[in-house]
Amino acid sequence: MNDTPDTNAGEVRRSRGAPAVPTKAGVALPLERAVRARAEEGGLNLKPSGRQPTSALEGRGAAAEAVTPLADAVFICRDVNVFYGAKQALKNVSIDIAPRQVLALIGPSGCGKSTFLRCLNRMNDTIPGARVTGSIKLDGQDIHDPALDVVQLRARIGMVFQKPNPFPKSIYDNVAYGPRIHGLARSRAQLDEIVCSSLTRAGLWDEVKDRLRSPGTGLSGGQQQRLCIARTIAVQPEVILMDEPCSALDPVATARIEDLIDELCQSYAIVIVTHSMQQAARVSQRTGYFHLGELIEVGDTDRIFTNPRHRLTEDYITGRFG
Amino acid sequence: MSRRALRSLTNAGALALSGLATAIGLFFLGAILWTLVKNGVGGMSAQVFSAMTPPPGSSGGLLNAIYGSVAMTVIGIAIGGPVGMLAGTYLAEYGRHSRLSTVIRFVNDVLLSAPSIIIGLFVYQLLVVRMGHFSAIAGAVALAIIAMPVTVRTTEDMLLLVPQGMKDASTAMGAYPWRTILSVIYPAARSGVVTGLLLAVARISGETAPLLFTALNNQFWSSNLGAPMANLPVVIFQFALSPYPNWQQLAWSGALLITASILVLSIAARIIVSSLGPGGRR
Repeated sequence: MNDTPDTNAGEVRRSRGAPAVPTKAGVALPLERAVRARAEEGGLNLKPSGRQPTSALEGRGAAAEAVTPLADAVFICRDVNVFYGAKQALKNVSIDIAPRQVLALIGPSGCGKSTFLRCLNRMNDTIPGARVTGSIKLDGQDIHDPALDVVQLRARIGMVFQKPNPFPKSIYDNVAYGPRIHGLARSRAQLDEIVCSSLTRAGLWDEVKDRLRSPGTGLSGGQQQRLCIARTIAVQPEVILMDEPCSALDPVATARIEDLIDELCQSYAIVIVTHSMQQAARVSQRTGYFHLGELIEVGDTDRIFTNPRHRLTEDYITGRFG
Repeated sequence: MSRRALRSLTNAGALALSGLATAIGLFFLGAILWTLVKNGVGGMSAQVFSAMTPPPGSSGGLLNAIYGSVAMTVIGIAIGGPVGMLAGTYLAEYGRHSRLSTVIRFVNDVLLSAPSIIIGLFVYQLLVVRMGHFSAIAGAVALAIIAMPVTVRTTEDMLLLVPQGMKDASTAMGAYPWRTILSVIYPAARSGVVTGLLLAVARISGETAPLLFTALNNQFWSSNLGAPMANLPVVIFQFALSPYPNWQQLAWSGALLITASILVLSIAARIIVSSLGPGGRR
């Protein structure tokens, strides 16, 4: 039953080998240029982060490069620190996250990538002893604002985890979970429509349309992960966070998820943590490199992998370290 | 002796000791069951289920005692079950890391191992003395207090077995904690929680001491919760100690009945576990 889609995925994979890089640069560059052009025209009209780079430079010396502000950033993070008890897991991370773009976070284990990801939807709140300082703004609103309901915040930010974690419910109910708890569907027909379109976008519809009532836990690992993605996009989030979404999957399933990420980034901002540098190179337009809790360098994926500015980044991507 | 030979000798010794320990346990279990069946089966008849407890020397059954046991057990679990489940939910979810939880967990463990006669005395002071007489409701409350810590413990353990990833997924979807608990955690832990409840039922259906101080006994049919009510454990206790052969025979039958129903409950619990399965798989 898997034959047809899998072969397709394989072909897509192969066709996206070497030629994919120039295409990606073609996509990414106009945006960067546009950002720079807009910044030159009216630098003062930028978001509040416009003046930040100078102070960030002073504060951190030569340890890392200054943050590049993006004019239309979804997330603006400035000097984010995370402490687990007395241990500091994240040090002065400043980064902007652009809409309709994939940002890959790479770095050795324990460097704070996932910690940073979990800051963005305040999942660190659920860990006892965790403390977050600094400013994180989603569409200009501070996500730590006491007036902001963290539950509502999380509804706007989808998250896909390392291990596929479908609920112990039917495939249908898994996807319908979010729309149900947020009251997105007024009628049964509308809910059916949301479930159908989410599963279709996640590339799972054809495989499960005849067994929507069977448990989601009965699917294969790759299917489960696509089910989790369908569940996430069913509530139309603004941003999707992915924490090593492919590390528990085989190469074929991984290829399918990566194709899906390519497609989803037409509509969503995606932040993906990955241990695979190939994956970062394949799916992302921007890449950030974390090292011991610091964001060492962030920039266009092509630039980071071909011409890293920082010694640590170079060591990591060339495999001399970690 | 070579090191390898020494190791295999140590292994054989450990295996023999643990085998012996198992055999000792199983021997006594088998002996109890055998005695029970041998003495109880003879007295089993339709009359046991259809007639009231008899006066000495005449024939009768255990109907009023069976009814009383079922009634008090059902009421007991209806009170103790939900309270225990909610407390277990607090310990596992809302208050998992709070200091209050540590205290509650400790107190619960104390209650779990408290002698049941103490609980009987407690309810005697609390209800029987105030009401002025023994009553079925006092018996049910005593059973509820015994069922509660068992349910708290099993519920907490079962909820903690639900993978953190599943809870995180629901939280990250923007679900409030109550919603995550009701829609995700309970369904995932359903079979375990139900098993815990059945085990609590099994536990309280054989309790004697707390009923001795609360429901006492009743020679006649009574469905009045405010009055003393017959129940199997106390009837067994009373009849077994009596000098009358027909009472002694009924005590054996009652003991067999309780043991068999606990066995059925335990098997039912196992079947439920395997049919619902972990994570609601069918």
